[in-house]
Amino acid sequence: MVAFTIEEIRSLMDVVTNVRNMSVIAHVDHGKSTLTDSLVQKAGIISAAKAGEARFTDTRKDEQERGITIKSTAISLYAEMGEEDVKEIKQKTEGNKFLINLIDSPGHVDFSSEVTAALRVTDGALVVVDCVEGVCVQTETVLRQSLGERIKPVVIINKVDRALLELQVTKEDLYQSFARTVESVNVIIATYTDKAVGDLQVYPDQGTVAFGSGLHGWAFTVRQFATRYAKKFGVDREKMMKRLWGDSFFNPKTKKWAKKEKDEKGKQLERAFNMFVLDPIFRLFTAIMNYKKEEIPALLEKLDIVLKGAEKELEGKALLKTVMRKFLPAADALLEMIVIHLPSPVTAQNYRAELLYEGPADDESCIAIKNCDPKADLMLYVSKMVPTSDKGRFYAFGRVFAGTVRSGLKVRIQGPNYVPGKKDDLFIKAIQRTVLMMGRFVEQIDDCPAGNIVGLVGIDQFLLKSGTLTTNENAHNLKVMKFSVSPVVEVAVEVKNANDLPKLVEGLKRLSKSDPCVVTSISPSGEHIVACTGELHLEICLSDLQNDHAGVPLKISPPVVSYRETVREKSSMTALAKSPNKHNRIYLEASPIDEELALAIESGKVNPRDDFKARARIMADEYGWEVTDARKIWCFGPDGTGSNLVVDQTKAVQYLSEIKDSVVAGWQWVTKEGPLFGENMRSIRANIMDVTLHADAIHRGAGQIMPTMRRAAYASILLAEPRIQEPVFLVEIQCPENAVGGIYSVLARKRGQVISEEQRPGTPMFNVQAYLPVNESFGFTTDLRQATGGQAFPQMVFHHWSIIDDDPSDASTKSGTIVLEGRKRRGMKEVVPGYEEYYDKL
Amino acid sequence: MSGEVAPALSTAQTDDTFQFDQFQSEETKQRSYLKKHDPANKNEVRQLLRDYYSIDELIEFLQGKFKKITLQFPDSLVCDSSYVVQMLQEGLIPDENNSIDAGLDDGKKHGGHCATCTDCSCGKTEKERKTTKSQKIDKYEVWVLADTSYSPCCVDEVAAEHIGADVVVHFGDSCLTPVQKLPSVYVFGKPQLDINVLTSKFEEQYQDTEENILLMSDTSYSYILKPVYDELKIKYRNLAYAEAYNEEKSIKIINYDFEKQKQKEGIRFGNRLLTGLHSEDIDINDEDELNSLLQTYSLFHITLPEPSRLLFLTTKFSSMVVYDPKACTINNGPFSSLMRRYRYMHVARTAGTVGILVNTLSLDNTKKMVNIVAKWIKDADKKYYMFVVGKPNVAKLANFDAIDVWCILGCGQGGIIIDETSEYFKPIITPYELHLALSPEVSWTGKWVTGFKDIIKLAEDNDDDDDDDFVNSGDEGKMSDEDYAPEFSAVTGKYVSNSRPLRQINHLQIELNPDATKTDNNDDDGGDGKPVSGNQLVKKFSQTVAIKGTVSTSAIHLQSRQWTGLGSDFKDDENYDEDGATIEEGRSGVARGYDHNNKSHII
Repeated sequence: MVAFTIEEIRSLMDVVTNVRNMSVIAHVDHGKSTLTDSLVQKAGIISAAKAGEARFTDTRKDEQERGITIKSTAISLYAEMGEEDVKEIKQKTEGNKFLINLIDSPGHVDFSSEVTAALRVTDGALVVVDCVEGVCVQTETVLRQSLGERIKPVVIINKVDRALLELQVTKEDLYQSFARTVESVNVIIATYTDKAVGDLQVYPDQGTVAFGSGLHGWAFTVRQFATRYAKKFGVDREKMMKRLWGDSFFNPKTKKWAKKEKDEKGKQLERAFNMFVLDPIFRLFTAIMNYKKEEIPALLEKLDIVLKGAEKELEGKALLKTVMRKFLPAADALLEMIVIHLPSPVTAQNYRAELLYEGPADDESCIAIKNCDPKADLMLYVSKMVPTSDKGRFYAFGRVFAGTVRSGLKVRIQGPNYVPGKKDDLFIKAIQRTVLMMGRFVEQIDDCPAGNIVGLVGIDQFLLKSGTLTTNENAHNLKVMKFSVSPVVEVAVEVKNANDLPKLVEGLKRLSKSDPCVVTSISPSGEHIVACTGELHLEICLSDLQNDHAGVPLKISPPVVSYRETVREKSSMTALAKSPNKHNRIYLEASPIDEELALAIESGKVNPRDDFKARARIMADEYGWEVTDARKIWCFGPDGTGSNLVVDQTKAVQYLSEIKDSVVAGWQWVTKEGPLFGENMRSIRANIMDVTLHADAIHRGAGQIMPTMRRAAYASILLAEPRIQEPVFLVEIQCPENAVGGIYSVLARKRGQVISEEQRPGTPMFNVQAYLPVNESFGFTTDLRQATGGQAFPQMVFHHWSIIDDDPSDASTKSGTIVLEGRKRRGMKEVVPGYEEYYDKL
Repeated sequence: MSGEVAPALSTAQTDDTFQFDQFQSEETKQRSYLKKHDPANKNEVRQLLRDYYSIDELIEFLQGKFKKITLQFPDSLVCDSSYVVQMLQEGLIPDENNSIDAGLDDGKKHGGHCATCTDCSCGKTEKERKTTKSQKIDKYEVWVLADTSYSPCCVDEVAAEHIGADVVVHFGDSCLTPVQKLPSVYVFGKPQLDINVLTSKFEEQYQDTEENILLMSDTSYSYILKPVYDELKIKYRNLAYAEAYNEEKSIKIINYDFEKQKQKEGIRFGNRLLTGLHSEDIDINDEDELNSLLQTYSLFHITLPEPSRLLFLTTKFSSMVVYDPKACTINNGPFSSLMRRYRYMHVARTAGTVGILVNTLSLDNTKKMVNIVAKWIKDADKKYYMFVVGKPNVAKLANFDAIDVWCILGCGQGGIIIDETSEYFKPIITPYELHLALSPEVSWTGKWVTGFKDIIKLAEDNDDDDDDDFVNSGDEGKMSDEDYAPEFSAVTGKYVSNSRPLRQINHLQIELNPDATKTDNNDDDGGDGKPVSGNQLVKKFSQTVAIKGTVSTSAIHLQSRQWTGLGSDFKDDENYDEDGATIEEGRSGVARGYDHNNKSHII
């Protein structure tokens, strides 16, 4: 029985102050979907009995089978809060009814892009941390991402039941473990918080940390206990909260609170948290799990828990579950945290607007976003595409940041490459329908005002993955999402039956739409390439492609890695290229760009679209460029966005600006196909030292300049110690001590490099972190399992590009073999050309 | 500001800055195809050439039949032209006792220019020809055609027509494509080749004597195939060879007898006759059967064929080996693969503007072909521009940067550019590939079809099938003023919004027509900005630029350029002055010599 109607939800959408958009983020297997179930159950969408097992937001068959979330799933929930709770809310609210738009996200590192897409449309995040495993690599990744988007986190420490039942820890141990986890979360938050948002750290004594068990359906915050005890002790609840966490002790004899763990007589005092919060829980656990039937009723009565009918017959774990669920319902604790501590769209958009919008902060669209104004022009960001039951069609899933979107509204659809005033990537189209996303179902609604999450029908053909919808002709785009992961693992796919080719091509299109990160392309040698972030992502994408999107049998090549071409030194001499008619010359020098700047360009911190003066300032201040150089950047490449720059260093060359377009086009061409083996280039700076041009425009046209630029660029790169960069994974492995040796031996075999190894305090588990070249990562998981008897399971996430520092033109070196293999695959001549091939003599 | 020196060109542009590269003639002078590599004197060269080109037979054939004789040499053989002309002059005279004029239109003179300026041979030399022609009129006139603008394997009919020739003598390798207007004579030449080396290399390559092997060569080496075949057949049972062959009566090949072959049993394969096949295979008439038969054969090709012919042959045979007769080496490939072109085909699917590059004027059906290709492109709502470029190269094609993909119409043997090192800025595809690309469903046959006839047949078949072939799906429920959905490009994995620029043309007509009728009272002109007045050349619509009622993708491209003309480059400068500088008189004249240059010379 659904406890709310669509009408109720729709009416709440207008009360933006009472809306909470939040995503659930965590490391894989820390229990996001299971916890989400508690909330879904609270809303009456699934039955209480199923909560914790149903994983309602895992809508796909393979998600259910594998037990991992692959796609992020949104659901809107309706909640009513008590008067007391509403009073606590420090932002503006109306009434006690709340609408929670929740997005459950995948935890596996390979699907980080789904998390990014979820974070963009939400304002708050529920960070789930496994009580036993603690903060893991993906916890850090997603937290960092959410902080980068100015999203406020609250934390739940999950799987407390495991600590109690499996590890049999003491109360103090458990407290210490909680405290450590909270601390490590706060370390991350402190590192990445944007100063503009203020303090985003989490504190149990402020109610921004909950503890619980998603599987058993219970959770609590210190605040809940404080409410209970506040009356009993007759103190203010806020005061009580402070006392229930940290170094606060209660002396039962004197009935006094103390700051030290020993009283005057040196007698050990019990920590207030252990005494008032953990004690009842521990007692329930011991009583029920040790089958002390006689103690149970008394305990239950003391805690105001009433069992009904059949529930009285339960025993052991089942009873424990029922009792705990009644004692401390997870949904209550979560809702309380979400509603009280997470910002409403009105609050959040105020500080997120400048970060979300590409245009100037004082333009009308930006102001409308800032005010979350439902009457302004529409500003809507589509963050991903959700497949519909209608094959090949998608709901555009996004967030209304300003204005109101309704069916039939004619909107401007601005793709990621849209530039105001230009017509690229711009479409005008009416929205057919607006829907509310409810897990695996959708509900139709007439319109959707600013601050809400919505699904749109009828615009999916216009956007591949994401984009901006607006009704304002002058509006700039909402910022394009940058993913923390990079599609560095590729396979070539081919149809088994030539007649299936159209289905493959259509399937690739659908695959590209349905995943925020996957990239499909055709290689120069004519193969269809699917590029993914890791092996699991690849596996899921290929099975989707084969079984669903294309629906035809495919031949799949073994995975290969995509590399980058770069240079290590400055060109040993100026490269000169003459135009085909010999009337024009370009003098070019290549040099490497600092890794920091390359990263800044890739993450969008240094953006080709920014005003060149502002950009030059940043580059001068933070990356040590000369302002004059930075101002003379002609272009970024490839695709106008990459980390390869052309810098004009010429002095007083006539007609120079006339050839700029040709040089830029040449550079885009070159950076897409490097001279070594046709891979993309990365972090190369090409300095145009001098240009000689024919005095007649006809002799310095595109046809003369573009090929010349290409030759000059190739020559200058080949003269600058060309190198290849390979992608490197950060691997995190958790395992018991006896498996560590096995891990080391596998890593050593695979060119891995251990960066840290530490024991998780209070557990026998070791945490090993290492860098592993992606090239060596294929089959790594299997090898690791074999070497450790199945005790170690790695998490791998793209971390950085690393130069292989040997000569790629020498086929006996590491990079030489990679280059040779790549050239063969692409059908190029096997020998890397020398610079002489592109260098013209004076 | 005043202290600054006036901007100067950073590199001095004196005359020697831009000197032409000297023409490299060493290589062509060597004549490695002759039996003796370094002939001692001119007489010896003459003798060798007389033998090489079968001059005596040629004279015998021409004698008394044709008055104006044009000679066409490929670039590699042009160096022999003067000798050949001389020998012909001598050979043809005795009959009439009249002197023969040799209008030597030497391509070498313009050698330096030809790489860059198009068609210099046709424009300029025409005058020269006329002047020489008017001086003497005799019975025999021997002309050498300057470098051929298009494929050297085809007879350059157009050039020959300029002087109203009676016959074209084509030297060297040829595609044997029939010429309609003129009789043509082919002289393949007899390039030197050591059969013993060849056979030993052959045996080295093919250890398995049971293998199905086909011998083939370019037409120049055809004469050698039969002896090679005879020698190898003893050892290799399943050997066959392909002789140059053409049914056309109008074609005469000097010193190469067709009549004899006609009686032989063989299968026709393009311009070759497959001879020496197993008797059970000879009845094959069906093309598919032939293809599957060829797939069982390995090809041994003497000389490296032209790239497009090479590609064609690799698609036909199971494997291919190329023998280089000069270096006496064997090349096992890999040769350019057709799969690279699969990518180009996909590029064409989402290309908005297609450049039709006409790289032949003499082939049969060229005009028809152009019309068909143009219709295909138009039906697919894409824009096309047509180009006729003599000797197309990277620079010439890159000049037209608004073009997304080139479709080249040319001879299947030497008239199609195969961009093996991806030097060209935009891909170049054949009409057949364009046909595949423009059909609504992606398909890839793995065939390489270049013959115009085949494609025309294909087009006609298609017309019968259905006319709605190119109608785009996916715009259901679209209102009239909404935009069309973009198309997915499999090449980049992104959406392309301008893949069908002409789709808006219907819009344009709707929008333009009311304007045309309302020129008198155009006070309320819909919502779309200003009314079109008669003298307004370019009108901008929401998505597109129109010139005279048609979409101009080239204009769209120009508008997207940063450089929009003088002054546009320093508009953003801080101290930009609206008023600009005072106009001064600049230099005038043409690039060859500006007025001030001339004046200074005079002084």
